[in-house]
Amino acid sequence: MAVPLIFNSIEQTTLSTWLRESTSVFGFYFILLFHTIGMSLVVGASAVVDLRILGIASGLPLKPLKRLFTIMWVGLGINVTTGLFLLTAYPTKALTNPDFYIKLTFIALAVTLMRRLSLRVFSDASLDEVAMIAKGKTMAAWSLVCWIGAVSAGRLLSETSKYVLYGHLWGS
Amino acid sequence: MNYAHLHLLLNHFPIIGTIIGLGLFLVSFLGKNSDLRRGSYIVLAAIALISIPTFLSGFGAQLMIKGPGVSDALLQRHQGSALLSLWFMEATGALALIGLWQSQKTSHPARWNVSAVLVLSLLTAGLMARTGNTGGDIRHPEDRPGEAMVAKDGTVTEGTVGSIIRAFEPTPEKFSEAVTFSKWWWTFMMILHFLGLIMIVGTVGLLDLRIMGFLKQLPIAPVHRFLPWAMAGLGVNILTGLLAFIGLPENYIYSGVFWLKMFSLLLLGLNAAVFYLTDIFAGVENLGAGEDAPISAKLIAASSLFLWFAVITFGRYIQPLGDTLRPGN
Repeated sequence: MAVPLIFNSIEQTTLSTWLRESTSVFGFYFILLFHTIGMSLVVGASAVVDLRILGIASGLPLKPLKRLFTIMWVGLGINVTTGLFLLTAYPTKALTNPDFYIKLTFIALAVTLMRRLSLRVFSDASLDEVAMIAKGKTMAAWSLVCWIGAVSAGRLLSETSKYVLYGHLWGS
Repeated sequence: MNYAHLHLLLNHFPIIGTIIGLGLFLVSFLGKNSDLRRGSYIVLAAIALISIPTFLSGFGAQLMIKGPGVSDALLQRHQGSALLSLWFMEATGALALIGLWQSQKTSHPARWNVSAVLVLSLLTAGLMARTGNTGGDIRHPEDRPGEAMVAKDGTVTEGTVGSIIRAFEPTPEKFSEAVTFSKWWWTFMMILHFLGLIMIVGTVGLLDLRIMGFLKQLPIAPVHRFLPWAMAGLGVNILTGLLAFIGLPENYIYSGVFWLKMFSLLLLGLNAAVFYLTDIFAGVENLGAGEDAPISAKLIAASSLFLWFAVITFGRYIQPLGDTLRPGN
């Protein structure tokens, strides 16, 4: 399958070139740093809520943890934004790599579960803690699985990509 | 200041510290003194932390002094010995932290934990002594036959005990190769390193935010029950981090931000010590929903949060800023 020409056009833009080639500490690695921080916020807060639902720290009241969803959405917002910048820097590298789509699928599933937990478990005032846990248990377990999958797929990106840039295979 | 200096500055702590920790631990058996036992555990955990930069600076020092006039066989021997004692030291430190966690609830560590710490700290003290001796052999030939210990074919003459321990010591180069043999294994370690980071930020971050006054509806004691997850994350990251360093030391020792990351981790250890060993922790431990923490606790929590994000920031920049300390740069 031919690599779409538009990836080349994106790589030629001033922004894309600057992100890749700038030696400033505010260049590529600055974006990557915030991608990592965003990850620690969204996955860290999700993991704590999931673990609590699954029985860890069972003395902790569940309802006030609703406020952690704000942290999750902020983290997700940071990562969508920084992710778009990273994609602008290396569109061919990411979009020709099947692992990139695996990562996005895991994230889509994890975010769907996060939204469901927020709406159906934490926003339903009629539920007491026992009912919240009964309703949220499966979602919490799958949420952990999907986040671990997303983080793993993310770290595997650099090892599985075929192209560095449009028309440039690794090592060529 | 260079790595050799840094290493000479740090290298007495693990040896003397382990002996002090072990000594206090043994004395605690005499009067069944539980405070003394806790004290010995704290010393062992602290020494496990300090052993990390000591080990890392040793790798740096080794690259610096390598060359004519220094026996490569003796360097390798010291490095292998340091590697072995480091793993025992870290295991002892981890068990000491588990014991401290247990003694928080029942006022004393579990019996299995006491036995395990006893065995491991005895072994660690012995291995540390050998690490000190093998290190001394590199630079203090006036105290011992030094160079005469190394035969022409590069083998080192050992005493009876030395040759037994030697059999268990890894060869540094082979160890490095084992860590870097496959990019998939390397990636797996990095995945674990990220998952560890997430566990730490999620659980410690929640505790810090609560103490700082956000999420005040949460009582503190149950938030603190997440701490073993943070410690597990830290354990995974110390393990994967050390393995990565041993695998590709040149990627790290010339990087200024790597040392800043290590320094931040030491500050985090100090921060945790101030939190738990003064009455600050006792003052917040039982705060219920809606209750405000004292300003001293808030400052500790804010420093913790700040330092963890500093660790992430410095860690992320190791790759692009990996050469800032390379001689001639």
